[in-house]
Amino acid sequence: MSGESASAIQKGQVDLLDFIDWSGVECLNQSSTHSLPNALKQGYREDDGLHLDSDADEQLLLYIPFTQVIKLHSILVKGPEEEGPKTVKLFSNKEHMGFSNVNDYPPSDMAVLTPDNLKGKPVLVKYVKFQNVRSLTIFIEDNQTGSEITKVQKIMLYGSTVETTDMKGLKKIEDH
Amino acid sequence: MVLEATMICIDNSEWMRNGDYSPSRFQAQADAVNLICGAKTQSNPENTVGVLTMAGKGVRVLVTPTSDLGKILACMHGLEIGGDMNLAAGIQVAQLALKHRQNKKQQQRIIVFAGSPVKHEKKVLEMIGRKLKKNSVALDIVNFGEEDEGKTEKLEALLAAVNNNDTSHIVHVPAGTNALSDVLISTPIFTGDGEGGSGFAAAAAAAAAGGVSGFEFGVDPNLDPELALALRVSMEEERARQEAAAKKAAEEASKQEKGGEQQASSQDATMTERASASASEAETKTNDMMDDENALLQQALAMSMDDPAINQEAKDTDMSEAASDDPELALALQLSVADSSKDSSSQSDMSKLLADQSFVSSILASLPGVDPNDPSVKDLLASMQNQSESQQKNDDKKPPSEEEKK
Repeated sequence: MSGESASAIQKGQVDLLDFIDWSGVECLNQSSTHSLPNALKQGYREDDGLHLDSDADEQLLLYIPFTQVIKLHSILVKGPEEEGPKTVKLFSNKEHMGFSNVNDYPPSDMAVLTPDNLKGKPVLVKYVKFQNVRSLTIFIEDNQTGSEITKVQKIMLYGSTVETTDMKGLKKIEDH
Repeated sequence: MVLEATMICIDNSEWMRNGDYSPSRFQAQADAVNLICGAKTQSNPENTVGVLTMAGKGVRVLVTPTSDLGKILACMHGLEIGGDMNLAAGIQVAQLALKHRQNKKQQQRIIVFAGSPVKHEKKVLEMIGRKLKKNSVALDIVNFGEEDEGKTEKLEALLAAVNNNDTSHIVHVPAGTNALSDVLISTPIFTGDGEGGSGFAAAAAAAAAGGVSGFEFGVDPNLDPELALALRVSMEEERARQEAAAKKAAEEASKQEKGGEQQASSQDATMTERASASASEAETKTNDMMDDENALLQQALAMSMDDPAINQEAKDTDMSEAASDDPELALALQLSVADSSKDSSSQSDMSKLLADQSFVSSILASLPGVDPNDPSVKDLLASMQNQSESQQKNDDKKPPSEEEKK
């Protein structure tokens, strides 16, 4: 993954929040008092005081299914400078993942987050690897300082849905 | 109303043939499993329960998590007892079964019945515990049956590693008159964490178990939830107290095994405690039987006066014969002899207590509906005193002969 980021979110890329299938969202090793909605849900994630914490150790495993097929363009992970996540691995369309088989598959993409990223700079993913995503698994392997607990304040996914992009593209051509 | 997927790990090792839980450890366990399955599937229609066995040729999953109670009950039939329990493998297989549950909204829970000794190192168990915690799996442990060195400690270490916000529980069930399932009914394993559906579950289970009034403690938890809760809490406290007492008694017994005659005095202290406890028990019981208490009292006293010496004489000879064959058996017998000799001494203490006529008559006078001046009661007291005196002599003779045998 390139460490470079888009200065602004590119045209045509939308926040994928609306396409998340909330009934299937799962997070392993989350603290029960600081759970995933704190980092993912609208409203909660904007509040830096509300964050997702890891529980038994520093790792976190997030499983996010979507209501329709999407393309993932970039991801934003915001966290505190010290306990914020560092190594993040992304897997597309891998169901039933656990900490025990996280190393069984090669990740679709991997990112090492910099302090800049943690302050809100999105990270571009290998766009070609995420063209047909029904579910996304995010594995946070460690954090910046190697402390026991990892904290995540905000996770945003940018991309586009497969059907709607085609439609919008068609309309744009008509406009010109 | 917790939405849960549960895996129940059954111990079907050879240790389950023991009959110290009626009718046998295995049957008692099967009853408890049925009860838990019923409660879990009833507390939420989407709950699922699976069953696996930890002993035999290896860990075997009998049913993957399902909400079909019939399937679960059916798989419990024709289970074979054999082999040793593999706790670590059982828990890990259970976790795998839970991981692939259909409905990801379900919380994961493993219920382990551990009735045989735990061979694994404490560290291994703690590691597994941490893994469960990381995968947000809750763990309930029913500790019953064998009580060897460090088993309780190991299981508690395992629980401590898993426990997250008190969602995991452990229950120690010592062998005794209470059925395993009856004991579990009032524990958090059975009632769950949520207060909402628990009352219903408890009531349903009590009815299923054929309780006298249909409800635990004879109180409908739906009508008076506060009273039911209070009763349950006091029941739990009482159980904790009994457990502590049993542990203490076991320690005393083991001390007695090792040492000689010196500790007899310390044991006497606990014995009198026990005797007085049973006396007060008898008192409360008498309160209940107002009608024909004279006849019953006589009967009860006669029973308690039964000479324990005769029984023991016979037993001892049997045992020494058997002991020559098998060293393990000999050890077991020695333990049980220690127990029974304890019993008899407690009985003699009791009779000493009863021999004190002023004490007995004061008890009798305090009972409603009993006239201490009633001639039949007086007769009885007089006869008791004679009997207990003769028994005391008997007892004085006995201990040396027992020492020799050991």
